[in-house]
Amino acid sequence: MTRRPSAKIAAYVGVAALALLAGLTLGRPELVAVAAPLAVLVVAGLATARDPELDAEVAVDRERALVGDQVTVTLSLRAGTRVERLEVLLVVPPGMEGPAGGPGGGPGGSSVAPRTTGTPRTWAAAVTLAAGEERALDIGLSCRRWGAYWLGDVHLRAHDRFRLFTWERHLDRHAPLKVFPVPEALRALVRPAETLVSTGSHVAPQRGDGIEFADLRSFMPGDRPRSINWRATARRGGLMVNQRHPERATDVVLFLDSFLDVRGPAGSTLDRAVGAAASLAAAYLRQRDRVGLVSFGGFVQWLQPGGGQTALYRLLDTLMETQVFATAAWKGIRHLPPRTLPAKALIVALTPLVDERGVAALFDLLARGYDLAVVDISPLARTGAAGGEWGGLAERLWALERETLRHRYQRLGAAVVEWPDALHLQQVLLEVEACRRRAGLAPG
Amino acid sequence: MPAPRRARTRLTCGLAATAVAAVLALAPLAEVTGTLREALAWVAGLAMVLAAAAALRLGSLLGPALVVLLAEYTVVLVGRGDRIDAAAPLFGAGLLLYAELASWAREARPGVSDERPVLVTRAIVVAASALAALGLGVLVLLAATLPAGGGLARLAIGVVATTLTLVLVVVVARPMSTRAPRG
Repeated sequence: MTRRPSAKIAAYVGVAALALLAGLTLGRPELVAVAAPLAVLVVAGLATARDPELDAEVAVDRERALVGDQVTVTLSLRAGTRVERLEVLLVVPPGMEGPAGGPGGGPGGSSVAPRTTGTPRTWAAAVTLAAGEERALDIGLSCRRWGAYWLGDVHLRAHDRFRLFTWERHLDRHAPLKVFPVPEALRALVRPAETLVSTGSHVAPQRGDGIEFADLRSFMPGDRPRSINWRATARRGGLMVNQRHPERATDVVLFLDSFLDVRGPAGSTLDRAVGAAASLAAAYLRQRDRVGLVSFGGFVQWLQPGGGQTALYRLLDTLMETQVFATAAWKGIRHLPPRTLPAKALIVALTPLVDERGVAALFDLLARGYDLAVVDISPLARTGAAGGEWGGLAERLWALERETLRHRYQRLGAAVVEWPDALHLQQVLLEVEACRRRAGLAPG
Repeated sequence: MPAPRRARTRLTCGLAATAVAAVLALAPLAEVTGTLREALAWVAGLAMVLAAAAALRLGSLLGPALVVLLAEYTVVLVGRGDRIDAAAPLFGAGLLLYAELASWAREARPGVSDERPVLVTRAIVVAASALAALGLGVLVLLAATLPAGGGLARLAIGVVATTLTLVLVVVVARPMSTRAPRG
């Protein structure tokens, strides 16, 4: 631990020396009587000060949580020697929130409170530890934002009995915690234009074995008797069989534009995009589709489409590491491995349509013939009300520019829907589906 | 809404320290009269301002506040003539009490809440220090009034004590910080 003398030592010794010199010079024993306690206290403090033997561990009660959950961080302290006062300070990362009251655990029922100044916030308490004592401090933290966190940034500051010295130590015990967004329940999803050959939940445009009725045709050798439509047979005078649409799976790629994050009182566009991506991934995987991810920004991440629970966890883990990484470098989709974007995949883009690199990447995808649905996470509400006449004019111009951009995408065959704050993701998906039906991209 | 304990501790200690400093600054004024009293009143005012600032806001002013209080008391002592001030141990204990309370007020950082045993132990240490200072002051005064040894012996003791204190100053002035590897 790093030892530091307090300012009190210099003050006490200086005043004691002055008083003794004055007493000696003036022949006044009273000044010696004034100086003696100060000097004796310093001598006693110097004689009794010992480096404290301290050990500390940090543990989190779980490694994964959902936004809104409460996790408990346990600070275990062990003292080899008596520590008169030990300040324990835990750095609470942005996105987490400290407790409103005292800690739940620890003998003595100590009352501690979080320090909420600045960012990141801190939680601090001061305790006394006897020699050989072990103490566990439980700190409840609320998960306010999704993300991958490292908890365990702890500062310790010990004081001696006379407060003449402090010993400081910084612990960086990495206790990982991943906070996932709460997935929205989605009943209807964007249906793909094309499907794979594997079985799934989407009604394929092809004919084959399935549930959904497609058409009637004449009986041919090899047709199963159960496919015969007896009513149609009676009307037509010849054997007629039902044709059906098979249920197939599809590849879905969630395309996350992470070049820029527009933040405001209503939240941030990236938070919304990540929450929506998590919800979509969970919903598509439940339907036995394969889901991939492209986080396209300053830092590009991708996951090839995969299915099942493992794919969901991999995808969520990757989503949690999404962040805005400022860079001026131009990035195009040619930087992505080809298998990341399968030819028949449905690409659902979640973008604020602010950075021209993200905008250009979507044009590039359309030019390559991908089935693209764009959810435009509107940043307009997050920028706040523009002040003055010129501000209002600029806001209207920006809105017009965005409208024009959406029309350009639509002319090229993409379904584009703006997602204002007031709407739920489900409503937006229904709008996307309606838009795709109008454009002839989706069945129905 | 009641103030949080950390704010209460800080405020209570700061106000108590200021009150002790006010007593220390004003009490010697009763011993003097005339022009000297007027001049010392200004010094007392300065001492109180410094003491309050050191206790409530600027911890680095603790040393200057103690020096000004000591200077005022020294002037009063000189004005008393050869009579020994029997209240000197009280002044010494008060000076220590003020310094400890002011340090405690500065130590109670915003955002750090002390559990009750920490506060109780600290209060006991401060009270014991003040009482010990009182006892030590009385002993020093008694020793000074003893006839044995004469003036020369007392002078020798004073020189030795002063020398030891100056040695202590040198020891304290040396860097006492240590740095340990991060753990």
